[in-house]
Amino acid sequence: MLAIENLQVNYGSIVALRGVDISVATGEIVAVIGPNGAGKSSLLMTIAGVVKPKAGDVKFDGRSILGEAPEKLAASGLALVPEGRHIFGSLSVAENIALGATPRNDRAGIAADTEKVLDMFPVLRDRFRQRAGNLSGGEQQMLAIARALLSRPKLLLLDEPSLGLAPLIVKQVYDAIYALRQQGLTVLVVEQSVNRALNAADRAYVMSGGAIAMVGRSSELQGTAAFDAAYFGSSQRSRA
Amino acid sequence: MIVIQNLIDAISLGSVYALAALGIGLIFSIMRLINFAHGELIMVGGFVIYAMAGNPMIVMALTAIIVVTILALGMERIAFRPLRKASPPTLLIASFAVSYLVQHSILMTFGSRPMGVDFLSGLGESIEFAGLRVPLLQCIAIVVTVALMVGLVVFFRASRIGVQMRAAAEDFTMARLLGVKADRVIAVAFALSGILASFVSLYLVAQTGTVSYKMGVNMVLIAFVASVIGGMGSLTGAALGGFLVGIVSVSLQAYLPEELRPYRDAFVFLLFIAFLLWRPQGLLVRRASERV
Repeated sequence: MLAIENLQVNYGSIVALRGVDISVATGEIVAVIGPNGAGKSSLLMTIAGVVKPKAGDVKFDGRSILGEAPEKLAASGLALVPEGRHIFGSLSVAENIALGATPRNDRAGIAADTEKVLDMFPVLRDRFRQRAGNLSGGEQQMLAIARALLSRPKLLLLDEPSLGLAPLIVKQVYDAIYALRQQGLTVLVVEQSVNRALNAADRAYVMSGGAIAMVGRSSELQGTAAFDAAYFGSSQRSRA
Repeated sequence: MIVIQNLIDAISLGSVYALAALGIGLIFSIMRLINFAHGELIMVGGFVIYAMAGNPMIVMALTAIIVVTILALGMERIAFRPLRKASPPTLLIASFAVSYLVQHSILMTFGSRPMGVDFLSGLGESIEFAGLRVPLLQCIAIVVTVALMVGLVVFFRASRIGVQMRAAAEDFTMARLLGVKADRVIAVAFALSGILASFVSLYLVAQTGTVSYKMGVNMVLIAFVASVIGGMGSLTGAALGGFLVGIVSVSLQAYLPEELRPYRDAFVFLLFIAFLLWRPQGLLVRRASERV
């Protein structure tokens, strides 16, 4: 589904990614975990076509998508829920959801999928006609995911879906992600919240300083000393 | 009675300013470009009407609308699309360049002297209504402006591309991530600004009966002031700012001491500076409108 090879990204003289290799198979949930500044968001922004890499390749569905515009990638089945959610605050919840379907033209299918995401996140149904900017943080996160799903993505990229949310909301968001996987969606999720990500994902990559420090099945990574070292560096603190 | 008369004057002048300000505000909200060449769209509209003189009025008007819209699209395609990733100051300078280029092309072709055009001159007559004498042109200006604004509101609320443009105005990158085509929303914004500019041309030519290569300059300055007063990036603000500047201009014209009236615009801009000191972000934009 997704194959990233030797991806390098610079912002001026700052190196964000120094040769990252990641692969995601169809139907998998893969987590990329790592501390702030490890390059996780840069990775997702590069895959989605917002950031142009210095070197390396990104293959989606078997073809290189490097240099393609974000709107074209969205139309070919890639959806990114960025960090900070980026919902359109001055638009209504309904309009935000409808914007997710921008690449599509099948009215009936869009209406059916809108019903589906409203069933998944009933709170959005209650607030369907309200300004999205008036939603709480958790509701905005649900809206951002719902909006992304409306494009019927093959691959969903989630950037820090639990950031700044109450534990109960985080559980709700992750329940939705599990449910989506049941329906065959492939997910690449970036997280700082280690336990949450490892519980949700089949496999995980640990990123640090713009490079992959470790990779493995979630169950194998959890609680190992090597994992702690990779995630926290040399200092041994307990996991958050 | 004189108060109501002045109010009608103010609203009709304000509605034209509002149309011009909307054209500027529309482009700014989508791509953070302050398009000073907007005045040249208005000016070229005037010259199209001049060049089409002798044809039926409706043909003159439609040709002006079509040519100005195409010119607006051409500006975007040739001058601004290659600069899309440039900073706002670079875009602003580019718009100055486009503005001078168009102005001087017209100057070279038609010369510098204002030229008379007979366009809708019958509208200079007044209609009597409840003791008021209102020039027909003013009534039509108000009605047309209201119709265009209602049309814009419906377009932005009800059409898919309209909603996409509102989304792009708020967060362009996120809109693109959802599949909104950058080229398309920007082109539609320029087309709309061209249509708005051409209606300002129609009004100016009908009102003054002349065209000159400088006729857009004053209008674009006032439109810019109006959109800043309303708050750059807010379309409602741009319209509101246009009406306010119209009301202030007409009030000054009516109530300033006789000997100061020739300097009316100086007072308009003085008030503008005072306004900026009080509320630099404009009326309808919250300071630090950071999204969380």
